[in-house]
Amino acid sequence: MNNNSPLLSLKNISKNFGAICALEDVSFDIFRGEVVALLGDNGAGKSTLVKIIAGGMAATHGQIFFEGRQVNFNSPAEAKSTGIETVYQDLSLCTNVDVVANFFMGRELVKRVCGIPVLNEREMYSVVEQALQSAGTAIPSLRTNVEHLSGGQRQAIELNRFVHWGGKLVLLDEPFAALGVEQTRRGLAMIRRIAAQGIGIVVITHIMSQAFQVADRMVVMRQGKIAGMVRCTDTSPDEVVRLITGDAV
Amino acid sequence: MLCIFSATVPRFFQIEIFANIVEHSTFVGVMAIGLAIIIIAGNMDLSVESVAALAAMITGILFASHGVGLGIAFTPEWLVLPVSLLIALTVGGVIGAFNGFLVVVMQMNAFIVTLASYIWVRGLVVAVSGGRSAQDLPPPLRFIGIETFLAIPLIAWIAITCFVVFSFVMSKTPFGRHVTMIGGNPVATYRAGINVGRITVTTFVIAGIVSGLAGWMLAIRTSGATANLGTGMLFQAFAAVVIGGVSLKGGVGRLPGVYAGVLLLSSIQTAINLMGLPAHYTQVILGLLVLAAMLLDALKISVRRRLA
Ligand SMILES: Nc1ncnc2c1ncn2[C@@H]1O[C@H](COP(=O)(O)OP(=O)(O)O)[C@@H](O)[C@H]1O
Ligand SMILES: [Mg+2]
Repeated sequence: MNNNSPLLSLKNISKNFGAICALEDVSFDIFRGEVVALLGDNGAGKSTLVKIIAGGMAATHGQIFFEGRQVNFNSPAEAKSTGIETVYQDLSLCTNVDVVANFFMGRELVKRVCGIPVLNEREMYSVVEQALQSAGTAIPSLRTNVEHLSGGQRQAIELNRFVHWGGKLVLLDEPFAALGVEQTRRGLAMIRRIAAQGIGIVVITHIMSQAFQVADRMVVMRQGKIAGMVRCTDTSPDEVVRLITGDAV
Repeated sequence: MLCIFSATVPRFFQIEIFANIVEHSTFVGVMAIGLAIIIIAGNMDLSVESVAALAAMITGILFASHGVGLGIAFTPEWLVLPVSLLIALTVGGVIGAFNGFLVVVMQMNAFIVTLASYIWVRGLVVAVSGGRSAQDLPPPLRFIGIETFLAIPLIAWIAITCFVVFSFVMSKTPFGRHVTMIGGNPVATYRAGINVGRITVTTFVIAGIVSGLAGWMLAIRTSGATANLGTGMLFQAFAAVVIGGVSLKGGVGRLPGVYAGVLLLSSIQTAINLMGLPAHYTQVILGLLVLAAMLLDALKISVRRRLA
């Protein structure tokens, strides 16, 4: 596979919710090792676009190409097996089970006892312990149920989860909304580190400075349409704000 | 609780009485396993009692020799054992699969679907039996119903085995983990790539199968079946599940707790009998017990919130 061909190509994606047109003719490419910031006001359609790429929702029109092949995901499981990892805006944790169980949700390590798959709790525990430690996330006990953790700790679990599982393309929908200053700094550094491994990253954020810090390119959406695509080095915060709000100056 | 009864109620502390409690809890206990798994997965199954009754009635009709029984016999005679068991489990499994299909594929509300099954399956029991009963199951089946091992009836051992097996499945296998997580957050499990639909259907099939087992044991214990067999057991199973610490919101609960709930219920019933209270009070006490369990649960949550 040629490194200059896009990892993901969106072609004329539209999405209607009844009469509401959440997305209209959205097309853009994401390349390997590239961080794309997706910006836009509330209701611009960012989360909807992420859900469509992640297989959680079908587009009304349009095509998605992943590594040059057209894909048609019917479930998040299919997107995941293709190599697309997603961190959703409304977190995807089961608060009624512990940190370890959440980390391995759907990918539990098992050992076979007489052919019966049995959860390998010790192994899973040590993997999670290591992953959180290397990310500098402090959680008192990995055996506490997630309902007893703070919003920041929960978001950290999700972020570390996708870092651990890797993949080819990562979609992050407002991943730092509940994080503190230091955790956000670490998170941004982590995104750069992952991108350096050749993974494509789409990060949705509201905060302009974060976008400038982490992204190579910005895609700005307004009312379901692409309002502009700019390289971070060729633009200014003022210009991006104008694209977001649609004000002509 | 058992200790209190042992100390205060005369003649309570006797091995036969314990055996009696364990036996008494067999049918409700096995049903409660299925009900608990469904509720932990965030669903509802009101049909367990009727499914058990149907499995019992079909066992009775096919293999009992009097009443509406057809008295089908095998050579060798013991073959009736696996065949009747298999039929009872299949009956339960099919109805469970039907419930699961309507809930998952047709996206119907589980409460309504299983309420309908509660009604039509019981109706089927009355219809196929014509309201009459079947009596006298062949000796191999009666043997299971009467024999004991270590002072505990064989059917009670079956229930205990079920609890051990399903407790293991729920706490140690990926399937059990997924069931619990689906009860906690179905959207998250779906996004994580877990096949939520398949697992949900499986929980309904399991509930149907264990209800079929409960019905089979009911039939062999009473050596036949009547059209109203098992009436009221749904509510006892419910009480046991709630007292055992399963949250109706889903995602919370353990099967050992449910078994403790079942044992508690039947020891209370036994104690009431021994104390010579009129049996009518049993229901009042059971109802209050369910309320007490809910109250305890609410207290636990508010205490935890204050600590957090
Ligand atoms: N499931 C849904 N049903 C109906 N409308 C929806 C649904 N999801 C999103 N929308 C609408 O689509 C538009 C885009 O929403 P969203 O993608 O969440 O925006 P953003 O993430 O950019 O804030 C909004 O107008 C929203 O109300
Ligand atoms: Mg959003």
